[in-house]
Amino acid sequence: MQQVFIKSNIWVGTLAFIVALPILVVGSAWLIPASELWSHFAQTLLPDLITSTLILLAGVAIGVGILGTVLAYLVVMVEFPGRRWLEWALFLPFAMPAYVMAFVYLGVFDYSGYVQVWLREFVGLPGFDIRAGHWAIILTFVLVFYPYVYMMARASFRRQKIQMIEAGKMLGANPLRVFWRISVPLARPAVAAGVLVTLMETLADFGVVSLFNYSTFTTAIYSAWGDFRSIEVAAQLASFLVLVAFFLIYFERKARGKAKYYSTDVSHIRPYQARGLIGWLIFFFVFSVFMLAFAMPFLQIVAWSIDVINKEWSSKYLNFIISTGILTLSAAILTVFIATILALPSQSKNNSKSLQILIRLSTLGYALPGSVMAVGLLYTVQSISQVSIYFGGSSINHFFFGSVALLLFAYVSRFMAIAFNSASASSEQIKPVYEQSAKLLGASRLRLIWQIYLPMMNPGILAGGLLVAVDVMKELPATYLLRPFGWDTLAIRVYELSAEGLFERAAVPALMMVVFGTLLMLIFNKLDRSQL
Amino acid sequence: MFNKRLTVSALTLTTLLMGSITQIQAASDDTVTVYSSRKEHLIQPLFEKFTEDTGIEVNYLTGKGGDLIERLKLEGENTPADIFMTVDAGDLWYAGTQDIFQSVVTDTIQSNIPMHLRDPEGLWTGLSVRARTIVYSTDRVDPSELSTYSDLATEKWAGKLCLRTSKKIYTKSLVASIIHNQGQDKATEVVRGWVENLAAVPNAKDSHIMDAIIAGQCDVGLVNTYYFGRLIEETPDAALKLFWANQDTTGVHVNVSGAGVTKHASNAAGATKLLEWLSSAKAQAIYGSLNKEYPANQNISSDEIVSAWGSFKQDKMNLAIAGKLQADAVKLMQRLDYK
Repeated sequence: MQQVFIKSNIWVGTLAFIVALPILVVGSAWLIPASELWSHFAQTLLPDLITSTLILLAGVAIGVGILGTVLAYLVVMVEFPGRRWLEWALFLPFAMPAYVMAFVYLGVFDYSGYVQVWLREFVGLPGFDIRAGHWAIILTFVLVFYPYVYMMARASFRRQKIQMIEAGKMLGANPLRVFWRISVPLARPAVAAGVLVTLMETLADFGVVSLFNYSTFTTAIYSAWGDFRSIEVAAQLASFLVLVAFFLIYFERKARGKAKYYSTDVSHIRPYQARGLIGWLIFFFVFSVFMLAFAMPFLQIVAWSIDVINKEWSSKYLNFIISTGILTLSAAILTVFIATILALPSQSKNNSKSLQILIRLSTLGYALPGSVMAVGLLYTVQSISQVSIYFGGSSINHFFFGSVALLLFAYVSRFMAIAFNSASASSEQIKPVYEQSAKLLGASRLRLIWQIYLPMMNPGILAGGLLVAVDVMKELPATYLLRPFGWDTLAIRVYELSAEGLFERAAVPALMMVVFGTLLMLIFNKLDRSQL
Repeated sequence: MFNKRLTVSALTLTTLLMGSITQIQAASDDTVTVYSSRKEHLIQPLFEKFTEDTGIEVNYLTGKGGDLIERLKLEGENTPADIFMTVDAGDLWYAGTQDIFQSVVTDTIQSNIPMHLRDPEGLWTGLSVRARTIVYSTDRVDPSELSTYSDLATEKWAGKLCLRTSKKIYTKSLVASIIHNQGQDKATEVVRGWVENLAAVPNAKDSHIMDAIIAGQCDVGLVNTYYFGRLIEETPDAALKLFWANQDTTGVHVNVSGAGVTKHASNAAGATKLLEWLSSAKAQAIYGSLNKEYPANQNISSDEIVSAWGSFKQDKMNLAIAGKLQADAVKLMQRLDYK
């Protein structure tokens, strides 16, 4: 028996290693001596962009932390007008790609947008450049990414024992005090996990920061590569992002401590009823978030699409939709499949520190910009080719470059964090006692997994699958670089049109993405409900 | 429950199979394969016409210039690409230095495309000309105040200038041309002046610059003329006009979009045919009407909207120089905090 469990460690380790390969290749750029480009960057870009990256991260972390937690608390703990549909509608910004949101916001709120035009003409306010300073871009990221925190905090609030809150109420604590002293501390690990995902997304973003012309670490990475054509320096810079992500995860784990909540019972009773004015105020607040983060940008792209639909629509779109669909679904299934294997509870895994680090490493691709990940993969294949040539074989580059297989590999490595975090959040709630009982009863590990673990991990696996699917649908840089001939996706169409400044035409494929993402969310919602 | 999980497993397997199958679609002999950083909606109509005329199919993959060059290098002699097409002389020049092109010199191309728009060794050929010049508000600017790119760095434009980000390749090539024409010191002075005169954070797109001028955020800017052409086509009464810069000195900075046959092309004959066809009057007219660019073939006239702007003196600096000086241009801009 013992033997079998150790063997499973080797399998899991190999799998994690393969997923981590492109990240390791990016890190290996340090084997090449630092170039003189470093001193140029150190004197010009770096001081500025380290400050602005930190300000951005701090602002986004505070913003999504507060907004996501408060929204989740309100929809779980308080009954207020419109709660039912808003609870679900607050997920919808997931379906909106960040770069689409950014060009809509710029179109609407920047100096030449109609909001400012109206303010100047009818209110007499002076115009201003919303791209200057930090607040506009922070707000954009917060509105795009708060659903991560909302989703995780909501799940956590739903699992909180109603008795604890009732106890707090009976002891005379007012709702705010209960929120602050009981609910928030209990939900802290979930909120931290949501903030972590957000920060990794923000670090790796290129679309929003380039539209705002805001400098972050990715600015230097793209400059090294795009301006100076130095892939080595770009990879060296990118490996810093991996390092930052590693420490963020480390601190998050540490902050969480040994606290584990083995609770899966969910109650549907809401401790607080908000009626009358307070109820409507809460409604108004939640509704405004929904308006800003989804309804307004959605209506804007609908309006733009209507203007140009005849010019932009063609039968090519069927192709875009089919490629997007196939890539999204197959990448989600594959990623979740591997993440589940990595996240399965296992005593021998818990005992092996090195295996745990390896698994963590395999999730760090999320902090890498997609194009760096993609080039990392090209170089991974190239290294294998070189080994093969050395031994008298031939190059395998042309076989893998531009294959769906390599593109799926990129997605798996890039989005492993999401699927893994989600799956392991539910596997951590499985008590070790199952494994011990199975051993005692002589049940095989496969049977234990199939009959006990998988059903228990199902909610986490599903949630992870949805998030990966939505992320793959929106993914641009890796898809752009690695896709096979004829596999253009909706995201690529959005990019190619908006890169030429044709934002109205870009609204057509963007709208399709939002519809597609919403469909995915509807399916998820159905599955999610049937779970409970 | 059991069945559900079985279905998921089956789906996963199908996925993996699919991934390996789609790989097998090798290019046949009468197909030309193109890697292009010129966007799909701008090349697809051209290729369609080419297939109609010659019966040769065109298979294409779009991407960013730098990415595609990297991919071509790594694919080496096994590359499926017969042609690499891109939208900046810097990229063309760099691709030339990376040994991915073969020299193609034919009479047709030589008679269609003037010399300064081609690589001296025939590695690549310019196919359309993109002029970057001054755009101004007709409400607030008298064209007699305008003269050169460097003039926009003088104090009279303080708080009135909108520029595109230094990350964009068109900005890099323009600054490279200023370094070449006026020297490093003068270029430094110009870029410093520009940055001081900015009315807003440098824009991500040329279209944003024109929007900002119309809205009154700034009065002058620098754009590629075809963006202006598209805007005028949509809103003919916009209070904007082009001004040809540097007419008394070096001429308007021009860039090219162009293409070359790859070194390891499996269908070099077909690729050459496509290149020749693209330089022909027929294809060049499509370039103009699709995207309001200037034809590289000087024997045909421009699109109607484009010819209304009148003729102008071009900077005849060989474009390979702009490519060579791009890295210097970026360093200069980054030192002066031109974002």
